Amino acid sequence: MRAISAFMKGVTRMNKAIGVAVSFLVFAMFLFILLEVFLRYAFNAPTVWTNELTQLLFGAYAVLSGGYLLAHRGHVNVDLIYSLFGPRMQAAIDVFTSILFFIFTLALLYFGVDMAQESISNWETSYSAWNPPIWPVKACIPIGTALLVLQGIVKLLEDIAIACNLSYYRPEDHPEHDPKGEQL
Amino acid sequence: MSTEILTLLFFGSLLLFVFLGLPLAFVLGGVSVVFLYFTWGFDSFYMVASQIWSTMGSFTLVAIPLFVYMAMILERTGVAKDLYRAMHLWFGGLRGGLAIGTLAICAIFAAMVGISGAAVVAMGTIALPAMLARGYDRSMCLGVINTGGGWGILIPPSIMMILYALISGVSVGKMFAAGILPGILLMVLTAAYILIRSNLQPHLAPALPPEERGTLREKLISLRSVALPILIVVMVLGSIMGGITTPTEAAAMGVLGSLIAAAVYRKLDYALLKEASIRTFKLSGMIMWILFAAHAFSAAYQSMGAQSMIEGFITQIPGGPWGIIIAMMLITFILGMVLDPVGIMLITLPVFLPIVESLGFDPIWFGILFVINMEIGYMTPPFGFNLFYLKGIVPPEITMKDIYKSVIPFVIVEIIGLVLLMIFPEIVTYLPELLF
Amino acid sequence: QETFTWKVQSHWPGASSSYKDSLGRLKEQLEERSDGRLKLQLFEAGSLFKAQETFNAVSRGILEMGTISPSYASDKMTLAGIASGLPFAFRNVWEAAYFHQALGFEEMLREEAAQHGVYWATDKVYPTEMVVKEPIESLEDFKSLKIRSSGALQKFLTEAGAAASYIPGGELYTALDSGIVDGAHWGAAQGAYSMALYEIAKYHVQPALNIAGTDVIIVSQKAMDKLPADLQQLVKDVLQEQFWYRTNEYLYKERITLAKAIAEEGVEVNTLPQDVQDHLVQVGQAMWDEEGKRSDKAAEALSMLKSFLSDLGYL
Ligand code: NA
Ligand code: NA
Repeated sequence: MRAISAFMKGVTRMNKAIGVAVSFLVFAMFLFILLEVFLRYAFNAPTVWTNELTQLLFGAYAVLSGGYLLAHRGHVNVDLIYSLFGPRMQAAIDVFTSILFFIFTLALLYFGVDMAQESISNWETSYSAWNPPIWPVKACIPIGTALLVLQGIVKLLEDIAIACNLSYYRPEDHPEHDPKGEQL
Repeated sequence: MSTEILTLLFFGSLLLFVFLGLPLAFVLGGVSVVFLYFTWGFDSFYMVASQIWSTMGSFTLVAIPLFVYMAMILERTGVAKDLYRAMHLWFGGLRGGLAIGTLAICAIFAAMVGISGAAVVAMGTIALPAMLARGYDRSMCLGVINTGGGWGILIPPSIMMILYALISGVSVGKMFAAGILPGILLMVLTAAYILIRSNLQPHLAPALPPEERGTLREKLISLRSVALPILIVVMVLGSIMGGITTPTEAAAMGVLGSLIAAAVYRKLDYALLKEASIRTFKLSGMIMWILFAAHAFSAAYQSMGAQSMIEGFITQIPGGPWGIIIAMMLITFILGMVLDPVGIMLITLPVFLPIVESLGFDPIWFGILFVINMEIGYMTPPFGFNLFYLKGIVPPEITMKDIYKSVIPFVIVEIIGLVLLMIFPEIVTYLPELLF
Repeated sequence: QETFTWKVQSHWPGASSSYKDSLGRLKEQLEERSDGRLKLQLFEAGSLFKAQETFNAVSRGILEMGTISPSYASDKMTLAGIASGLPFAFRNVWEAAYFHQALGFEEMLREEAAQHGVYWATDKVYPTEMVVKEPIESLEDFKSLKIRSSGALQKFLTEAGAAASYIPGGELYTALDSGIVDGAHWGAAQGAYSMALYEIAKYHVQPALNIAGTDVIIVSQKAMDKLPADLQQLVKDVLQEQFWYRTNEYLYKERITLAKAIAEEGVEVNTLPQDVQDHLVQVGQAMWDEEGKRSDKAAEALSMLKSFLSDLGYL
């Protein structure tokens, strides 16, 4: 039981830490675009790398957000009917619907790994004018998905605990996971 | 299995899981995977991963985090609050004045972005709390933001219009010109609705009591807070029109403007940047995961033979040319409930366009109807991306039901606009004919 | 009798002339000549897979057929750079056609693609040409240009002294209109016409930046192997005919389109001054050798190209 709690806490903490770190990429994207506009407009000297680098950062930024969002209940859902049920019933429903979550994320993980492996095997670059390596960003697909899957397992364990009144997770210890969502 | 039955199962399971409360992104992604397995086999899941990679590589989407970042910074600096206070002082005497002011800001925002999601999230952050704090009805506020936030694709620049031009072969310039009057028409109709409604039911959008409307001096002082937002608009719009940036790059100018505003308000520090970054990450990530799954979903639906089903369907429509046009609008409307607009375009336009042209209709006119219909699709329950984006930003006491209910009158207003454009096609065709 | 339906992912949007002229023709030919035993189901650009992903999907056998530009397969095909066009190499379209079909470059491409389970068939060879808002009358004019470009040509134009930047297709029209760029290349006349670029850029620049097999039809070897021998032969025959038919037809349509643009939109042909041309040839040739370094095959293709061009008296 203690191992389960430790796993849950560890995964959640990891996802939250990664999310905070990745969130700063938005500032980098802003700077690079601004730089490109400036160089092109003021010096008539556009670069070959700024837009592409921004694009790559954006890709990583977007795909790495999955686990962090789930840890914060940030993936939006429809509570129209769902909200009519009590917490235990909701948890039971979540256990059931998690089937679809895992079908999606595991399929994505499988082919994401496949795609990344292929890309890493030849240190894939973009073959653009700048020609940067793109394998690190492709590798972010399985990494981001794996983070999401891990957080999904944590969520499933929580739901099972709530639905079956198990002791390893008590929702009252985690007010931030109020199913109504978190105030941003 | 026929595509018709697959369609029912496809959309049926979508509805089931969404109403069971599974987040939208996972429903769209999961349903695509299941159906790809049955129609195409295990290997087809590669398509899901590949669609995600392609979506990550779409440069125009970079505007989403940047515009959201701009809004988050503005909201924290207090400039947004001051802007609404000024608006309240000046237009507070008018019932519904703030809602109409919000619409105007939405229209300006729409002229700065070519996409829809960023505007909804940004306006939901800035405008919603300001209106609620002044006693505006929840439904009214949500509806205004939902409808106005979607105008980004209707008022040029618009990625949707460019895509339509690419698929149909009409001129981009003419599409842009054609969108201007219909955009104004929809604004006027929506503003008229707000005025009428708030005069019939003053508690929905209360006027400021006369004693709080402030003296002329106070009003003039309050104008100071308008300067910074205007500066940002000039920076963004000016850089697009002046040939300095593309619409996507202009988002970075918006961020720069908001940083300047933060500096003027003496709020520019690490804590502000950090908090804005994290909030931006949550909202952009939410939008992007929905888009990842939505793109996989429309590719899956395409591969099931959606196009030939629609083709077969449309040839059986009674009622002559207008019957067919109306049927096309209904099909787009229904698809607009569940698919992303790019997917809808790729599925329907190759079928629709030859028919539209053979019936003697103007493809530019049809394009504008189509784009407005997409904008409506963004906000119609049960599936409208704007609804979900808004849900992602509102305080927890606002439920999906509130958001669903709020859009109904605004959807009706837009449908009235759509019908007017069908009856008076000149509203669409006048400007392109004049300018080109 | 067994019938086969192939999913075909295009990299052309539906309104592009090549969608109908290339894929439409291919579909018609295959379906008619196989008596309906082989059917093609066409998907417009981006429907199932984005252009950059189509080679992978065909290679894995998820799609039976697709169309691409060689540059989208750069990571797998070391010959892609030469196939998608070395700047200022050929001067006429027939030369590129001869290089592919008679001198054996097409066969080399086919061999390399076969290693990835893909049957490669160039759809056509054709020029890539720029449109600009102000005519280029001197080297100075050229070097002051801001041009929307992509891939290898972006590097080429940059090295030649212009300011080349990448702008996605969806924002190209607006960017050109508002003056973010002064010129762009999007195919040649037909491409520019389909993107409505002539509305805002009235000068069509010649000679071509490159002439190359920029459109390719790829077939999954897995799908090919499932066909009976006669249908396999049919596919190969039709693709071979397609190359000659489309190369010729495309040239014809280029001219017709340019004539239409001249008549209707007041477009003028801007022939580059000799000193600009000389400069571009010089910069271009320096870049060719880079492509030759990618593999032994690429080196072989490059030396074949060079000896061909010297035979023609260009080098
Ligand atoms: Na817009
Ligand atoms: Na909808």
